Amino acid sequence: MTVWPDTREGTLDVGGFETVDMTINVGPQHPSTHGVFRMVLTVDGERVVDAEPYIGYLHRGLEKLTENSDYRQSMGWWDRTDYLAGMCCEGAYCMAVEKLAGIEVPDRAEYIRVIMMELSRINSHFMFFGAFGADLGSFGTSFVYGWRERERIYDLFEEVAGDRMFPTYFRPGGLTMDLPDNFEHRCRWVLSSVRQGLEDFDGLLTGNEIFVERCRDLSPVTQEQAINWGLTGPMIRATGLKWDIRRAEPYSIYPHLKFEIPVGRQGDVFDRFMVRMAEAYQSSRIIEQCLDEMPRSGLVLNPDLPTTLRVPAGECYLRTEGTKGEYSVHAISDGSNKAYRMKLRSPAFCNLSALREMVIGTYVADAIIILGSLDIVLGEVDK
Amino acid sequence: MDFADPFFGISWLDALIRLVIVVGVMTLVVMYLIYGERKLLGRFQQRKGPSYTGPAGLFQSFADAIKLVGKEDLRPRNADRWVFEFAPFAAFIPVFVILVTLPFAQDWGVRNLGLGLFFVFAVLGLNIVGILMAGLGSGNKYALLGGVRAAAQMISYEIPLVISLLAVAMVAGTLNLNEIVLLQENRPFVLIQPLAFVIFFTAMLSELHRAPFDIPVAESEISGGYFIEYSGIRWSMFQLTEYAALWAFSIFGAVVFLGGWAFPFGLEWGWGWQLFLTIFKSFFLIFLVMWMRATVPRLRIDQLMNFCWKVLIEVSFLLIIVNGFFLYYGWSETILGLVNWAGAIVFIGLVYSRGIRRSRAREYVGTYRNPEAATP
Amino acid sequence: MTNEEPQQTESPPARPLATLASTQSPNQQLRKTLEDTLAKVHPNTPFEIGETKTDVNLHCPPEHFAALVTTLKERKELAFDMLRNMSGVDYEEGLTCAYHFYSFAHNYSLQVTVKCPPDNTHIPSLTGLYAAALWHEREAAEMFGFVFDGHPNLKNLLLEEDLNIHPLLKAHPLAKPEILQGIEESKPGFDF
Repeated sequence: MTVWPDTREGTLDVGGFETVDMTINVGPQHPSTHGVFRMVLTVDGERVVDAEPYIGYLHRGLEKLTENSDYRQSMGWWDRTDYLAGMCCEGAYCMAVEKLAGIEVPDRAEYIRVIMMELSRINSHFMFFGAFGADLGSFGTSFVYGWRERERIYDLFEEVAGDRMFPTYFRPGGLTMDLPDNFEHRCRWVLSSVRQGLEDFDGLLTGNEIFVERCRDLSPVTQEQAINWGLTGPMIRATGLKWDIRRAEPYSIYPHLKFEIPVGRQGDVFDRFMVRMAEAYQSSRIIEQCLDEMPRSGLVLNPDLPTTLRVPAGECYLRTEGTKGEYSVHAISDGSNKAYRMKLRSPAFCNLSALREMVIGTYVADAIIILGSLDIVLGEVDK
Repeated sequence: MDFADPFFGISWLDALIRLVIVVGVMTLVVMYLIYGERKLLGRFQQRKGPSYTGPAGLFQSFADAIKLVGKEDLRPRNADRWVFEFAPFAAFIPVFVILVTLPFAQDWGVRNLGLGLFFVFAVLGLNIVGILMAGLGSGNKYALLGGVRAAAQMISYEIPLVISLLAVAMVAGTLNLNEIVLLQENRPFVLIQPLAFVIFFTAMLSELHRAPFDIPVAESEISGGYFIEYSGIRWSMFQLTEYAALWAFSIFGAVVFLGGWAFPFGLEWGWGWQLFLTIFKSFFLIFLVMWMRATVPRLRIDQLMNFCWKVLIEVSFLLIIVNGFFLYYGWSETILGLVNWAGAIVFIGLVYSRGIRRSRAREYVGTYRNPEAATP
Repeated sequence: MTNEEPQQTESPPARPLATLASTQSPNQQLRKTLEDTLAKVHPNTPFEIGETKTDVNLHCPPEHFAALVTTLKERKELAFDMLRNMSGVDYEEGLTCAYHFYSFAHNYSLQVTVKCPPDNTHIPSLTGLYAAALWHEREAAEMFGFVFDGHPNLKNLLLEEDLNIHPLLKAHPLAKPEILQGIEESKPGFDF
């Protein structure tokens, strides 16, 4: 890779011609910014010399809203953060409240929660595969492949919770309602279709020479860099660090489940893609185990909960493995029925903060797919 | 009636009538190419494609055309006015002029030029001017990037395109397209020059800005490239150019490589069969192009240029040298064909194996397929 | 840097699953190491070690914060190499900033709470130690009005660049968005 001189100030004299760096504004309306993200690229021809990300176009004041609404009211705000995997966000929020209040969750509800969270993870990863293929220019084919499986998972969510993207299915202390009768059969069918979808993506993208040429050795990240930048989730696992909060700091029933933590080798774009691919497969394994082991009947909501949930004063920082990385909630309560402070540690926000270092020195086309490989969700970045 | 005979014996009226026919047929064909592409991509992508306007969506392109004509013709305030407004025509006319020389059947065509192949090369180069005009005149940085990318790409790929066609012209011994077709009466040139066909097809994809070489119009990077600022009728001129060029190139490829109207029984079975052959072969090439578009991702500009200057041009020069030896010493055509086939297979194999070797994908893929396997 | 499979917790048979109370809780070994190391390295720093529901909580005043974090990062027995989160909190008596660190080598998680005096919101910036602090500090600065000394670029991140308000302060008004935009006089709806 060409090393650019450090002292570039506007103009550079190349063989008698004066070249001027050009700034390109990418976003907030752009096909590849995955929402309303904006970055200003300074380019020298096709090379990116500097990049400055701008976020906040989707800022909805999540934390302020949570401070000013009841513990159960703010549920709905939280699954609108990572809107591709709403259940994971609900899970983190509910577990933080349960941790503070010391509420026990029935076993059946724990299993159903894990099933739902892993289905959400698959859902989010399929969105990534589709959108990443579209960033690479595979004209919508990968997108439609991804949407096919997502549609089936959303149908399942609709049968379970009544809503597709924002189910608001969890409650502090359990779940809103029990599963429908034929859930297990339907869920297994969805899983088989998910595996077929993974095979399809494997055939469409992984084996493709152009895909490999574009993604291999692009923006490799070392473990030290990843830790220093605060990358989490598939981004840090792509560097070869076997770190998954479901194993390192386990929560819910994950200690009882068997699954692998897929890791990459050099943290390049290709590894990030493959790690997500393997992760989606592992999620389907987790769901199958849960379906086999879960109690067939029983309560799904703790019956001892009061009508108004008053949480004793305390503080906790509850870590969960969201779809993009460490999705954690720093919750502080003061004994009232509203949270005193709820801070979302958004994985996509932290991953995105490393974008500038990753894209400098690459081509414009590469900057787009590096952004795609971060798998940002703007609802989560902007809170 | 021969090619040269004017309609009604009046040359200007003859020219007018022929051109009007070409324009009308081309517009109709382009409309149904767009419809066909949308249907095909729908099939590839597990959806239906246009299906509401008319029976099976057949009138969708007409509806689109009416909408486009009715749209406001916008021009950005900082655009260079005349450059911006004339760019679509500058891009369109060369493509239109190519169609004038192509033989659709034995006596069907507008003009039978003695240097038809040469004329096509010469006129093709002019297409770039319109695209550069659009890129520079729009006053938009995306358009500028797109225009410059298009210029670099098209000028580079012109060379392997021309050389691969020259290889065929060497074997044929003529530049007249009609005579080239007649020479393929018993076997199409793709059988004895397959490597030239591979190079031609690759360069054609690049000249047409089709995937995987759709870098100048990259939707996900520069969101349309040089025609980003165009709307309404001027945008549809670009669309018309794109598909007319696709059709023209496909007929050209069918004529030069696949035997045009002559190959199986063209001379015996009459003009209907000849017309069918030309159209069928060109649509087969168009189908290949669309299939590629639905399947492959996009290359990066430096990889594209590397592939052209470091691979395609060398291979095409080698092809010309090999052909020269065979022609000079008068070796048999069968051996020439065999050598070429070997070259084509080695060439495709090398390109394919590079991707497989670089990916090391199988290790990961094994991981996720086999749940019990240890993680890498 | 491998993490062993966590031990399955021993629980009474009526409730076989690991509950949250047993999984993410303050690490007593970390607490002991922390007490020993800090007493050795920073004998004169007035720190204080407590616990939240999930983490060991180290309270420290802002003037000693940078030195303390350097120790946390560089001592081998602690090695807190990742800044995973930071959040400002507006307690009535003054602004507080909570940092969450993680140590990959030991699987430790630590919260450091920095309490500013009521009239001073200056905290030393961690951007020299952790690149992850760049955006976290910008966010905390715009939401609460912290000033992180040494941050290269402390402009607004999520809010508009010229919007000089700190919405997450408890004193910030909740309703009437018109006041923020300076258009409280206008009628509801759009003017055409």
